[in-house]
Amino acid sequence: MIDYIVGYLHSGVTPGEAGNLFWETIYVLLVFLGISIGVIFMNWFERKVMAHMQVRIGPMRVGPHGLLQPIADALKLIIKEDLMPSGADKIVFWFAPVCVVMTAFCGFIVVPFGRTHAITDMNIGVLFMLGVSSLGVLGVIMAGWASNSQYPLMGSLRSGAQMVSYEVAMCMSVVSAVMMTSLVTGTGTMSMIGIVQAQEQQHMWFAFSFFPVGLTALGVFAIAMVAETNRAPFDLPEAESELVAGFLTEYSGFRWSLFFLAEYAGMMAVSAIAATLWLGGWLRPFPHLLGGAAWDTAFSLVPGLGFLLLGALCLFYTARMPKLRSMRGNLIGLAAFGAFLALLGAFMLLPAVRIRVQDIFWFTIKVGFFMYLYIWYRTTFPRYRFDQLMKIGWKFLLPISIGVVVLTAVIGVRQELLALVFSSWGGGR
Amino acid sequence: MTVGEMLRRFFLVDLLKGMWVTFRHQNPADLVTEQYPLQRPEISDRFRGQPRLMKDENGKVLCTACGACALACPEKLIKVGSVRDPETKKKVLTEFDFDLGRCMFCGLCEEACPSDAIMLSPDYELALYTREGMELQRPQLENGIERKVYEK
Repeated sequence: MIDYIVGYLHSGVTPGEAGNLFWETIYVLLVFLGISIGVIFMNWFERKVMAHMQVRIGPMRVGPHGLLQPIADALKLIIKEDLMPSGADKIVFWFAPVCVVMTAFCGFIVVPFGRTHAITDMNIGVLFMLGVSSLGVLGVIMAGWASNSQYPLMGSLRSGAQMVSYEVAMCMSVVSAVMMTSLVTGTGTMSMIGIVQAQEQQHMWFAFSFFPVGLTALGVFAIAMVAETNRAPFDLPEAESELVAGFLTEYSGFRWSLFFLAEYAGMMAVSAIAATLWLGGWLRPFPHLLGGAAWDTAFSLVPGLGFLLLGALCLFYTARMPKLRSMRGNLIGLAAFGAFLALLGAFMLLPAVRIRVQDIFWFTIKVGFFMYLYIWYRTTFPRYRFDQLMKIGWKFLLPISIGVVVLTAVIGVRQELLALVFSSWGGGR
Repeated sequence: MTVGEMLRRFFLVDLLKGMWVTFRHQNPADLVTEQYPLQRPEISDRFRGQPRLMKDENGKVLCTACGACALACPEKLIKVGSVRDPETKKKVLTEFDFDLGRCMFCGLCEEACPSDAIMLSPDYELALYTREGMELQRPQLENGIERKVYEK
Protein backbone atom coordinates (compact mmCIF):
# COMPACT_ATOMS: atom_id res chain seq x y z
CA MET A 1 0.00 0.00 0.00
CA ILE A 2 2.67 2.50 1.08
CA ASP A 3 4.92 1.28 -1.72
CA TYR A 4 2.05 1.87 -4.13
CA ILE A 5 1.52 5.45 -2.91
CA VAL A 6 5.23 6.27 -2.95
CA GLY A 7 5.56 4.65 -6.37
CA TYR A 8 2.73 6.81 -7.67
CA LEU A 9 4.25 9.98 -6.20
CA HIS A 10 7.40 9.33 -8.24
CA SER A 11 5.51 8.89 -11.52
CA GLY A 12 5.59 12.61 -12.43
CA VAL A 13 2.29 12.85 -14.34
CA THR A 14 -1.21 13.89 -13.39
CA PRO A 15 -3.66 11.07 -12.57
CA GLY A 16 -5.75 12.00 -15.60
CA GLU A 17 -2.81 11.43 -17.93
CA ALA A 18 -1.95 8.17 -16.16
CA GLY A 19 -5.59 7.07 -16.47
CA ASN A 20 -5.58 6.11 -12.81
CA LEU A 21 -9.18 6.20 -11.60
CA PHE A 22 -8.32 5.79 -7.91
CA TRP A 23 -5.97 8.75 -7.79
CA GLU A 24 -8.33 10.81 -9.95
CA THR A 25 -11.06 10.35 -7.35
CA ILE A 26 -8.70 11.30 -4.55
CA TYR A 27 -7.51 14.39 -6.40
CA VAL A 28 -11.08 15.46 -7.17
CA LEU A 29 -11.98 15.15 -3.49
CA LEU A 30 -8.81 17.00 -2.45
CA VAL A 31 -9.43 19.85 -4.90
CA PHE A 32 -13.08 20.09 -3.82
CA LEU A 33 -12.01 20.20 -0.18
CA GLY A 34 -9.27 22.73 -0.89
CA ILE A 35 -11.59 25.05 -2.79
CA SER A 36 -14.23 24.81 -0.07
CA ILE A 37 -11.67 25.67 2.59
CA GLY A 38 -10.47 28.47 0.34
CA VAL A 39 -14.02 29.84 0.11
CA ILE A 40 -14.41 29.67 3.88
CA PHE A 41 -11.09 31.44 4.35
CA MET A 42 -11.94 34.04 1.69
CA ASN A 43 -15.22 34.81 3.46
CA TRP A 44 -13.33 35.62 6.66
CA PHE A 45 -10.45 37.32 4.87
CA GLU A 46 -12.73 39.53 2.78
CA ARG A 47 -14.65 40.73 5.82
CA LYS A 48 -11.44 41.40 7.72
CA VAL A 49 -9.60 43.19 4.91
CA MET A 50 -12.66 45.23 3.97
CA ALA A 51 -13.12 46.18 7.60
CA HIS A 52 -9.51 47.30 7.96
CA MET A 53 -9.66 49.30 4.73
CA GLN A 54 -12.76 51.02 6.10
CA VAL A 55 -11.01 51.65 9.45
CA ARG A 56 -13.13 49.09 11.27
CA ILE A 57 -12.08 45.81 12.90
CA GLY A 58 -14.54 43.34 11.41
CA PRO A 59 -15.66 40.10 13.04
CA MET A 60 -14.04 39.67 16.46
CA ARG A 61 -16.42 37.63 18.61
CA VAL A 62 -16.81 34.13 17.14
CA GLY A 63 -13.44 32.58 17.78
CA PRO A 64 -10.19 34.51 18.09
CA HIS A 65 -10.28 37.47 15.69
CA GLY A 66 -13.51 36.07 14.24
CA LEU A 67 -11.79 33.05 12.73
CA LEU A 68 -14.85 30.85 13.22
CA GLN A 69 -17.27 33.45 11.84
CA PRO A 70 -17.70 31.74 8.41
CA ILE A 71 -18.60 28.47 10.13
CA ALA A 72 -21.18 30.25 12.29
CA ASP A 73 -22.57 31.93 9.17
CA ALA A 74 -22.78 28.60 7.36
CA LEU A 75 -24.64 27.04 10.30
CA LYS A 76 -27.06 29.95 10.33
CA LEU A 77 -27.68 29.61 6.60
CA ILE A 78 -28.30 25.87 6.85
CA ILE A 79 -30.90 26.16 9.60
CA LYS A 80 -32.71 29.02 7.85
CA GLU A 81 -36.07 28.34 6.23
CA ASP A 82 -35.78 27.22 2.65
CA LEU A 83 -38.25 29.43 0.81
CA MET A 84 -39.75 28.69 -2.57
CA PRO A 85 -41.82 31.56 -4.02
CA SER A 86 -45.37 30.66 -5.03
CA GLY A 87 -45.65 30.32 -8.77
CA ALA A 88 -41.95 29.54 -9.08
CA ASP A 89 -40.84 27.00 -11.63
CA LYS A 90 -39.88 24.39 -9.05
CA ILE A 91 -37.53 22.23 -11.08
CA VAL A 92 -35.64 25.16 -12.59
CA PHE A 93 -35.58 26.96 -9.25
CA TRP A 94 -34.05 23.85 -7.68
CA PHE A 95 -31.61 23.25 -10.50
CA ALA A 96 -30.25 26.81 -10.88
CA PRO A 97 -27.91 26.83 -7.82
CA VAL A 98 -26.80 23.28 -8.62
CA CYS A 99 -25.95 24.36 -12.15
CA VAL A 100 -23.98 27.38 -10.96
CA VAL A 101 -22.00 25.35 -8.42
CA MET A 102 -21.31 22.55 -10.88
CA THR A 103 -19.94 24.87 -13.53
CA ALA A 104 -17.88 26.81 -11.00
CA PHE A 105 -16.20 23.67 -9.68
CA CYS A 106 -15.89 21.92 -13.05
CA GLY A 107 -13.25 24.36 -14.24
CA PHE A 108 -10.85 23.19 -11.55
CA ILE A 109 -10.40 19.87 -13.38
CA VAL A 110 -7.65 21.39 -15.51
CA VAL A 111 -6.15 23.90 -13.07
CA PRO A 112 -2.51 22.91 -12.52
CA PHE A 113 -1.48 23.45 -8.90
CA GLY A 114 1.86 21.92 -9.90
CA ARG A 115 3.30 19.74 -12.62
CA THR A 116 1.69 16.65 -11.11
CA HIS A 117 -0.88 18.38 -8.91
CA ALA A 118 -3.73 18.64 -11.37
CA ILE A 119 -6.67 16.32 -11.85
CA THR A 120 -5.92 16.03 -15.53
CA ASP A 121 -4.17 17.78 -18.38
CA MET A 122 -6.30 18.61 -21.40
CA ASN A 123 -4.89 19.79 -24.68
CA ILE A 124 -7.67 22.42 -24.76
CA GLY A 125 -7.40 23.28 -21.06
CA VAL A 126 -7.93 27.06 -21.28
CA LEU A 127 -10.79 26.70 -23.73
CA PHE A 128 -12.43 24.12 -21.47
CA MET A 129 -12.14 26.41 -18.48
CA LEU A 130 -13.55 29.46 -20.26
CA GLY A 131 -16.35 27.38 -21.76
CA VAL A 132 -17.36 25.78 -18.49
CA SER A 133 -17.18 29.00 -16.52
CA SER A 134 -19.37 30.81 -19.04
CA LEU A 135 -21.99 28.09 -18.61
CA GLY A 136 -22.54 29.70 -15.21
CA VAL A 137 -24.57 32.39 -17.02
CA LEU A 138 -27.15 29.71 -17.76
CA GLY A 139 -27.60 29.04 -14.05
CA VAL A 140 -27.92 32.75 -13.31
CA ILE A 141 -30.61 33.25 -16.00
CA MET A 142 -32.40 30.12 -14.79
CA ALA A 143 -32.41 31.49 -11.26
CA GLY A 144 -33.85 34.79 -12.42
CA TRP A 145 -36.50 33.21 -14.61
CA ALA A 146 -37.62 30.54 -12.13
CA SER A 147 -38.08 32.98 -9.25
CA ASN A 148 -41.32 34.34 -10.76
CA SER A 149 -40.42 37.83 -9.62
CA GLN A 150 -39.43 41.00 -11.44
CA TYR A 151 -36.22 42.00 -9.69
CA PRO A 152 -34.51 38.63 -10.11
CA LEU A 153 -35.47 38.56 -13.78
CA MET A 154 -34.06 42.03 -14.40
CA GLY A 155 -30.93 41.15 -12.42
CA SER A 156 -30.33 37.92 -14.24
CA LEU A 157 -30.79 39.55 -17.66
CA ARG A 158 -28.30 42.25 -16.72
CA SER A 159 -25.94 39.64 -15.40
CA GLY A 160 -26.26 37.55 -18.55
CA ALA A 161 -25.61 40.52 -20.80
CA GLN A 162 -22.62 41.55 -18.72
CA MET A 163 -21.01 38.12 -18.57
CA VAL A 164 -21.45 37.50 -22.28
CA SER A 165 -20.05 40.87 -23.33
CA TYR A 166 -16.99 40.70 -21.09
CA GLU A 167 -16.29 37.16 -22.24
CA VAL A 168 -15.23 38.57 -25.62
CA ALA A 169 -12.49 40.84 -24.29
CA MET A 170 -11.39 38.14 -21.87
CA CYS A 171 -11.02 35.51 -24.60
CA MET A 172 -9.14 37.93 -26.84
CA SER A 173 -6.51 38.52 -24.17
CA VAL A 174 -6.32 34.76 -23.56
CA VAL A 175 -5.65 34.31 -27.28
CA SER A 176 -2.61 36.57 -27.04
CA ALA A 177 -1.19 34.46 -24.20
CA VAL A 178 -1.85 31.26 -26.14
CA MET A 179 -0.06 32.75 -29.15
CA MET A 180 2.97 33.49 -26.99
CA THR A 181 3.33 29.79 -26.13
CA SER A 182 4.51 29.06 -29.68
CA LEU A 183 7.44 31.49 -29.56
CA VAL A 184 10.51 29.34 -28.91
CA THR A 185 9.28 25.86 -29.63
CA GLY A 186 7.22 26.78 -32.69
CA THR A 187 4.18 24.78 -31.51
CA GLY A 188 1.57 26.53 -29.41
CA THR A 189 -0.56 24.83 -26.80
CA MET A 190 -3.79 25.49 -24.93
CA SER A 191 -3.05 22.98 -22.20
CA MET A 192 -2.73 24.72 -18.84
CA ILE A 193 0.35 22.67 -17.95
CA GLY A 194 1.79 23.27 -21.44
CA ILE A 195 1.36 27.04 -21.04
CA VAL A 196 3.30 27.06 -17.79
CA GLN A 197 6.01 24.87 -19.30
CA ALA A 198 6.25 27.26 -22.25
CA GLN A 199 6.87 30.12 -19.80
CA GLU A 200 9.55 27.99 -18.17
CA GLN A 201 11.24 27.36 -21.51
CA GLN A 202 11.08 30.99 -22.58
CA HIS A 203 12.56 32.06 -19.22
CA MET A 204 9.81 34.68 -18.95
CA TRP A 205 6.36 35.01 -17.46
CA PHE A 206 3.96 35.99 -20.22
CA ALA A 207 3.03 39.12 -18.24
CA PHE A 208 6.50 40.48 -19.13
CA SER A 209 6.80 39.12 -22.67
CA PHE A 210 7.09 41.88 -25.33
CA PHE A 211 7.06 44.23 -22.43
CA PRO A 212 3.89 46.31 -22.45
CA VAL A 213 1.93 43.79 -24.55
CA GLY A 214 1.75 40.91 -22.12
CA LEU A 215 1.09 43.24 -19.21
CA THR A 216 -1.74 44.94 -21.13
CA ALA A 217 -3.30 41.55 -21.86
CA LEU A 218 -3.10 40.70 -18.17
CA GLY A 219 -4.64 44.09 -17.33
CA VAL A 220 -7.54 43.57 -19.72
CA PHE A 221 -8.07 40.07 -18.34
CA ALA A 222 -7.88 41.33 -14.76
CA ILE A 223 -10.60 43.92 -15.42
CA ALA A 224 -12.76 41.57 -17.49
CA MET A 225 -12.61 38.82 -14.89
CA VAL A 226 -14.05 41.12 -12.24
CA ALA A 227 -17.01 41.84 -14.49
CA GLU A 228 -17.25 38.18 -15.47
CA THR A 229 -17.70 37.09 -11.87
CA ASN A 230 -20.16 39.93 -11.10
CA ARG A 231 -18.01 41.49 -8.42
CA ALA A 232 -17.77 45.12 -7.37
CA PRO A 233 -17.38 47.59 -9.07
CA PHE A 234 -19.21 45.66 -11.78
CA ASP A 235 -21.79 44.01 -9.48
CA LEU A 236 -24.70 45.52 -11.39
CA PRO A 237 -26.89 42.40 -11.13
CA GLU A 238 -26.71 42.71 -7.35
CA ALA A 239 -27.13 46.49 -7.24
CA GLU A 240 -29.21 46.59 -4.08
CA SER A 241 -30.37 50.16 -4.62
CA GLU A 242 -31.98 49.20 -7.91
CA LEU A 243 -32.61 45.48 -7.91
CA VAL A 244 -32.75 44.40 -4.25
CA ALA A 245 -30.31 41.49 -4.67
CA GLY A 246 -30.61 40.68 -8.37
CA PHE A 247 -31.09 37.03 -9.16
CA LEU A 248 -30.44 36.12 -5.52
CA THR A 249 -33.52 37.98 -4.25
CA GLU A 250 -35.81 34.97 -3.86
CA TYR A 251 -33.13 32.57 -2.67
CA SER A 252 -32.51 31.93 0.98
CA GLY A 253 -30.74 29.56 3.31
CA PHE A 254 -28.83 26.70 1.80
CA ARG A 255 -29.61 27.53 -1.84
CA TRP A 256 -28.31 31.05 -1.34
CA SER A 257 -25.13 29.68 0.22
CA LEU A 258 -24.65 27.52 -2.88
CA PHE A 259 -24.69 30.68 -5.00
CA PHE A 260 -22.23 32.24 -2.58
CA LEU A 261 -19.95 29.20 -2.82
CA ALA A 262 -20.15 29.31 -6.61
CA GLU A 263 -19.33 33.01 -6.71
CA TYR A 264 -16.14 32.57 -4.73
CA ALA A 265 -15.18 29.35 -6.53
CA GLY A 266 -15.68 31.20 -9.82
CA MET A 267 -13.46 34.05 -8.60
CA MET A 268 -10.77 31.53 -7.75
CA ALA A 269 -11.16 29.80 -11.11
CA VAL A 270 -10.62 32.96 -13.17
CA SER A 271 -7.80 34.03 -10.84
CA ALA A 272 -6.24 30.62 -11.47
CA ILE A 273 -6.47 31.21 -15.24
CA ALA A 274 -4.81 34.60 -14.85
CA ALA A 275 -2.06 33.18 -12.64
CA THR A 276 -1.42 30.27 -15.00
CA LEU A 277 -1.43 32.24 -18.22
CA TRP A 278 0.51 35.32 -17.21
CA LEU A 279 2.17 34.81 -13.85
CA GLY A 280 3.87 31.49 -14.50
CA GLY A 281 1.44 29.19 -12.67
CA TRP A 282 3.30 27.03 -10.20
CA LEU A 283 6.76 28.39 -11.09
CA ARG A 284 8.61 30.07 -8.25
CA PRO A 285 9.78 33.68 -8.73
CA PHE A 286 12.98 34.02 -10.81
CA PRO A 287 13.54 30.31 -11.66
CA HIS A 288 16.35 31.25 -14.08
CA LEU A 289 17.72 34.55 -12.82
CA LEU A 290 18.27 32.99 -9.39
CA GLY A 291 18.78 29.45 -10.68
CA GLY A 292 20.90 26.69 -9.22
CA ALA A 293 20.56 24.14 -6.45
CA ALA A 294 21.24 26.62 -3.62
CA TRP A 295 18.49 29.00 -4.71
CA ASP A 296 16.14 26.04 -5.33
CA THR A 297 16.64 24.91 -1.76
CA ALA A 298 16.24 28.44 -0.44
CA PHE A 299 12.95 28.98 -2.28
CA SER A 300 11.62 25.55 -1.33
CA LEU A 301 12.06 26.54 2.34
CA VAL A 302 9.75 29.55 1.91
CA PRO A 303 6.38 27.73 2.37
CA GLY A 304 7.47 26.04 5.60
CA LEU A 305 9.00 29.23 6.96
CA GLY A 306 5.88 31.16 5.96
CA PHE A 307 3.67 28.84 7.96
CA LEU A 308 6.08 29.00 10.89
CA LEU A 309 5.84 32.79 10.73
CA LEU A 310 2.03 32.63 10.67
CA GLY A 311 2.10 30.34 13.71
CA ALA A 312 4.46 32.72 15.49
CA LEU A 313 2.13 35.63 14.66
CA CYS A 314 -0.81 33.71 16.15
CA LEU A 315 1.16 33.07 19.33
CA PHE A 316 2.18 36.74 19.43
CA TYR A 317 -1.46 37.81 19.22
CA THR A 318 -2.31 35.24 21.90
CA ALA A 319 0.18 36.92 24.19
CA ARG A 320 -1.31 40.34 23.40
CA MET A 321 -4.92 39.32 24.04
CA PRO A 322 -6.63 40.89 27.07
CA LYS A 323 -6.41 38.52 30.03
CA LEU A 324 -10.09 38.14 30.83
CA ARG A 325 -12.02 35.13 31.97
CA SER A 326 -14.51 35.48 29.14
CA MET A 327 -11.67 35.42 26.60
CA ARG A 328 -10.07 32.24 27.89
CA GLY A 329 -11.65 30.04 25.21
CA ASN A 330 -10.40 32.34 22.47
CA LEU A 331 -6.97 32.42 24.07
CA ILE A 332 -6.60 28.64 24.09
CA GLY A 333 -8.11 28.40 20.60
CA LEU A 334 -5.73 30.92 19.08
CA ALA A 335 -2.73 29.34 20.79
CA ALA A 336 -3.76 25.91 19.51
CA PHE A 337 -4.28 27.32 16.01
CA GLY A 338 -0.84 28.95 16.11
CA ALA A 339 0.75 25.72 17.30
CA PHE A 340 -1.04 23.83 14.51
CA LEU A 341 0.22 26.28 11.89
CA ALA A 342 3.75 26.07 13.26
CA LEU A 343 3.63 22.25 13.19
CA LEU A 344 2.37 22.40 9.61
CA GLY A 345 5.26 24.72 8.76
CA ALA A 346 7.75 22.35 10.41
CA PHE A 347 6.22 19.46 8.45
CA MET A 348 6.64 21.43 5.23
CA LEU A 349 10.34 21.88 5.93
CA LEU A 350 10.93 18.12 5.50
CA PRO A 351 12.79 17.64 2.20
CA ALA A 352 10.38 15.02 0.82
CA VAL A 353 7.38 17.23 1.56
CA ARG A 354 8.76 20.60 0.58
CA ILE A 355 9.62 19.70 -3.02
CA ARG A 356 6.00 18.62 -3.54
CA VAL A 357 4.38 21.44 -1.61
CA GLN A 358 6.28 24.37 -3.08
CA ASP A 359 4.41 24.25 -6.44
CA ILE A 360 1.06 24.43 -4.71
CA PHE A 361 2.33 27.18 -2.44
CA TRP A 362 3.51 29.49 -5.22
CA PHE A 363 0.34 28.88 -7.23
CA THR A 364 -1.81 29.65 -4.19
CA ILE A 365 0.14 32.83 -3.51
CA LYS A 366 -0.49 34.04 -7.06
CA VAL A 367 -4.19 33.20 -6.90
CA GLY A 368 -4.33 34.84 -3.48
CA PHE A 369 -2.89 38.03 -4.95
CA PHE A 370 -5.80 38.25 -7.37
CA MET A 371 -8.28 37.45 -4.61
CA TYR A 372 -6.82 40.30 -2.57
CA LEU A 373 -7.24 42.56 -5.61
CA TYR A 374 -10.94 41.58 -5.75
CA ILE A 375 -11.41 42.72 -2.16
CA TRP A 376 -9.36 45.83 -2.77
CA TYR A 377 -11.48 46.84 -5.78
CA ARG A 378 -14.62 46.20 -3.79
CA THR A 379 -13.70 48.59 -1.02
CA THR A 380 -12.29 51.27 -3.29
CA PHE A 381 -14.50 51.72 -6.33
CA PRO A 382 -18.12 52.81 -6.52
CA ARG A 383 -20.43 50.80 -8.74
CA TYR A 384 -20.58 51.67 -12.45
CA ARG A 385 -23.81 52.49 -14.23
CA PHE A 386 -25.01 49.86 -16.68
CA ASP A 387 -24.31 51.93 -19.81
CA GLN A 388 -20.84 52.78 -18.45
CA LEU A 389 -20.25 49.09 -17.90
CA MET A 390 -21.18 48.21 -21.46
CA LYS A 391 -19.10 51.15 -22.72
CA ILE A 392 -16.02 49.93 -20.87
CA GLY A 393 -16.54 46.42 -22.14
CA TRP A 394 -17.17 47.09 -25.81
CA LYS A 395 -15.50 50.44 -26.53
CA PHE A 396 -12.47 50.20 -24.26
CA LEU A 397 -11.48 46.64 -23.36
CA LEU A 398 -12.41 44.92 -26.62
CA PRO A 399 -10.40 47.24 -28.94
CA ILE A 400 -7.42 47.07 -26.58
CA SER A 401 -7.54 43.29 -26.41
CA ILE A 402 -7.83 42.96 -30.21
CA GLY A 403 -4.90 45.36 -30.52
CA VAL A 404 -2.95 43.19 -28.09
CA VAL A 405 -3.64 40.09 -30.18
CA VAL A 406 -2.51 41.83 -33.38
CA LEU A 407 0.59 43.25 -31.70
CA THR A 408 1.49 39.86 -30.25
CA ALA A 409 1.19 38.28 -33.67
CA VAL A 410 3.23 41.00 -35.41
CA ILE A 411 6.03 41.13 -32.83
CA GLY A 412 6.11 37.35 -32.52
CA VAL A 413 6.38 36.78 -36.27
CA ARG A 414 9.03 39.50 -36.54
CA GLN A 415 11.07 37.85 -33.82
CA GLU A 416 10.76 34.42 -35.42
CA LEU A 417 11.72 35.82 -38.85
CA LEU A 418 14.75 37.60 -37.40
CA ALA A 419 15.80 34.40 -35.66
CA LEU A 420 15.37 32.53 -38.96
CA VAL A 421 17.44 35.09 -40.88
CA PHE A 422 20.24 35.11 -38.31
CA SER A 423 20.36 31.33 -38.18
CA SER A 424 20.54 31.08 -42.01
CA TRP A 425 23.39 33.61 -42.03
CA GLY A 426 25.15 31.61 -39.37
CA GLY A 427 24.65 28.43 -41.40
CA GLY A 428 26.06 30.05 -44.60
CA ARG A 429 29.24 31.18 -42.94
CA MET B 1 -9.19 67.28 -23.22
CA THR B 2 -5.51 67.93 -22.82
CA VAL B 3 -2.84 65.31 -23.38
CA GLY B 4 -2.06 65.10 -19.67
CA GLU B 5 -5.67 64.51 -18.82
CA MET B 6 -5.93 61.81 -21.50
CA LEU B 7 -2.87 60.04 -20.13
CA ARG B 8 -4.33 60.29 -16.63
CA ARG B 9 -7.53 58.65 -17.79
CA PHE B 10 -5.80 56.00 -19.87
CA PHE B 11 -3.49 54.86 -17.09
CA LEU B 12 -6.34 55.02 -14.52
CA VAL B 13 -4.30 57.33 -12.29
CA ASP B 14 -7.29 58.43 -10.23
CA LEU B 15 -8.38 54.84 -9.61
CA LEU B 16 -4.86 53.90 -8.51
CA LYS B 17 -4.80 56.89 -6.16
CA GLY B 18 -8.05 55.71 -4.62
CA MET B 19 -6.63 52.22 -4.20
CA TRP B 20 -3.59 53.65 -2.44
CA VAL B 21 -5.86 55.48 -0.01
CA THR B 22 -7.77 52.32 0.93
CA PHE B 23 -4.54 50.34 1.15
CA ARG B 24 -3.02 52.87 3.51
CA HIS B 25 -5.99 52.71 5.86
CA GLN B 26 -5.25 49.07 6.67
CA ASN B 27 -2.71 50.34 9.18
CA PRO B 28 -4.00 49.13 12.58
CA ALA B 29 -3.11 52.50 14.08
CA ASP B 30 -5.95 54.04 12.03
CA LEU B 31 -8.64 51.93 13.71
CA VAL B 32 -11.48 53.93 15.23
CA THR B 33 -13.77 51.06 16.23
CA GLU B 34 -13.73 50.00 19.87
CA GLN B 35 -14.84 46.65 21.22
CA TYR B 36 -17.30 48.35 23.51
CA PRO B 37 -17.86 46.28 26.61
CA LEU B 38 -14.19 45.28 26.79
CA GLN B 39 -12.72 48.57 25.65
CA ARG B 40 -14.29 51.79 26.84
CA PRO B 41 -13.93 55.12 25.10
CA GLU B 42 -12.19 58.00 26.82
CA ILE B 43 -14.84 60.66 27.36
CA SER B 44 -14.00 64.33 27.54
CA ASP B 45 -14.60 66.01 30.91
CA ARG B 46 -16.84 68.50 29.17
CA PHE B 47 -19.21 65.77 27.98
CA ARG B 48 -22.68 66.29 29.47
CA GLY B 49 -23.97 62.92 30.67
CA GLN B 50 -25.56 61.65 33.83
CA PRO B 51 -26.28 64.47 36.38
CA ARG B 52 -24.49 64.19 39.71
CA LEU B 53 -24.68 66.06 43.00
CA MET B 54 -21.12 66.83 44.07
CA LYS B 55 -19.78 66.54 47.62
CA ASP B 56 -16.95 68.35 49.37
CA GLU B 57 -13.92 66.56 50.78
CA ASN B 58 -15.79 65.75 54.02
CA GLY B 59 -18.49 63.94 52.10
CA LYS B 60 -21.05 66.70 52.68
CA VAL B 61 -23.28 67.62 49.75
CA LEU B 62 -22.35 71.01 48.35
CA CYS B 63 -25.93 71.88 47.42
CA THR B 64 -27.34 74.81 49.40
CA ALA B 65 -30.89 74.15 48.22
CA CYS B 66 -31.15 77.63 46.71
CA GLY B 67 -33.27 76.32 43.84
CA ALA B 68 -31.42 78.24 41.11
CA CYS B 69 -31.10 75.10 39.01
CA ALA B 70 -34.81 74.40 39.21
CA LEU B 71 -35.48 77.95 38.04
CA ALA B 72 -32.93 77.73 35.24
CA CYS B 73 -34.14 74.40 33.91
CA PRO B 74 -36.09 75.00 30.67
CA GLU B 75 -37.94 71.69 31.12
CA LYS B 76 -38.77 72.31 34.81
CA LEU B 77 -37.68 68.81 35.66
CA ILE B 78 -35.69 69.56 38.82
CA LYS B 79 -37.48 69.62 42.15
CA VAL B 80 -35.53 70.84 45.15
CA GLY B 81 -37.01 70.20 48.60
CA SER B 82 -35.58 71.86 51.72
CA VAL B 83 -36.29 72.66 55.34
CA ARG B 84 -34.94 75.57 57.34
CA ASP B 85 -32.66 74.53 60.16
CA PRO B 86 -34.12 76.26 63.27
CA GLU B 87 -30.68 76.71 64.92
CA THR B 88 -28.48 78.02 62.07
CA LYS B 89 -31.38 79.59 60.12
CA LYS B 90 -29.97 77.96 56.96
CA LYS B 91 -31.78 75.92 54.33
CA VAL B 92 -30.96 72.20 54.44
CA LEU B 93 -31.48 69.98 51.42
CA THR B 94 -34.03 67.22 51.98
CA GLU B 95 -34.80 65.88 48.53
CA PHE B 96 -33.59 66.51 45.03
CA ASP B 97 -35.56 64.96 42.14
CA PHE B 98 -34.19 64.95 38.63
CA ASP B 99 -36.36 63.55 35.82
CA LEU B 100 -33.71 62.31 33.40
CA GLY B 101 -36.36 61.20 30.88
CA ARG B 102 -37.13 64.81 30.03
CA CYS B 103 -33.60 66.17 30.34
CA MET B 104 -31.98 67.44 27.14
CA PHE B 105 -28.54 67.81 28.71
CA CYS B 106 -28.37 71.54 27.98
CA GLY B 107 -26.26 72.17 31.08
CA LEU B 108 -28.13 75.33 32.19
CA CYS B 109 -28.57 73.93 35.71
CA GLU B 110 -24.83 73.43 35.90
CA GLU B 111 -24.27 77.06 34.89
CA ALA B 112 -26.85 78.45 37.25
CA CYS B 113 -25.54 76.64 40.33
CA PRO B 114 -23.67 79.11 42.58
CA SER B 115 -21.89 76.39 44.57
CA ASP B 116 -20.90 74.00 41.73
CA ALA B 117 -23.04 71.31 43.35
CA ILE B 118 -24.83 69.95 40.29
CA MET B 119 -22.77 68.70 37.42
CA LEU B 120 -23.47 66.76 34.24
CA SER B 121 -20.82 64.08 34.56
CA PRO B 122 -19.13 62.18 31.71
CA ASP B 123 -20.96 58.94 32.59
CA TYR B 124 -22.73 57.92 29.43
CA GLU B 125 -24.35 54.54 30.15
CA LEU B 126 -27.90 55.71 30.81
CA ALA B 127 -29.97 52.97 29.17
CA LEU B 128 -32.70 51.52 31.40
CA TYR B 129 -35.43 48.93 31.25
CA THR B 130 -38.20 51.12 32.70
CA ARG B 131 -39.28 54.72 32.35
CA GLU B 132 -39.68 55.03 36.11
CA GLY B 133 -35.98 54.44 36.64
CA MET B 134 -35.25 57.72 34.92
CA GLU B 135 -36.62 59.75 37.82
CA LEU B 136 -33.41 60.09 39.80
CA GLN B 137 -33.51 60.63 43.56
CA ARG B 138 -30.77 61.92 45.86
CA PRO B 139 -28.90 58.61 46.39
CA GLN B 140 -28.52 58.03 42.66
CA LEU B 141 -27.47 61.62 42.09
CA GLU B 142 -24.91 61.52 44.85
CA ASN B 143 -23.42 58.08 44.26
CA GLY B 144 -24.18 57.44 40.61
CA ILE B 145 -26.62 54.89 39.21
CA GLU B 146 -25.86 51.37 40.38
CA ARG B 147 -25.59 48.95 37.49
CA LYS B 148 -26.00 45.24 37.59
CA VAL B 149 -22.86 43.61 36.20
CA TYR B 150 -23.70 40.55 34.15
CA GLU B 151 -21.27 37.64 34.02
CA LYS B 152 -20.97 35.62 30.85
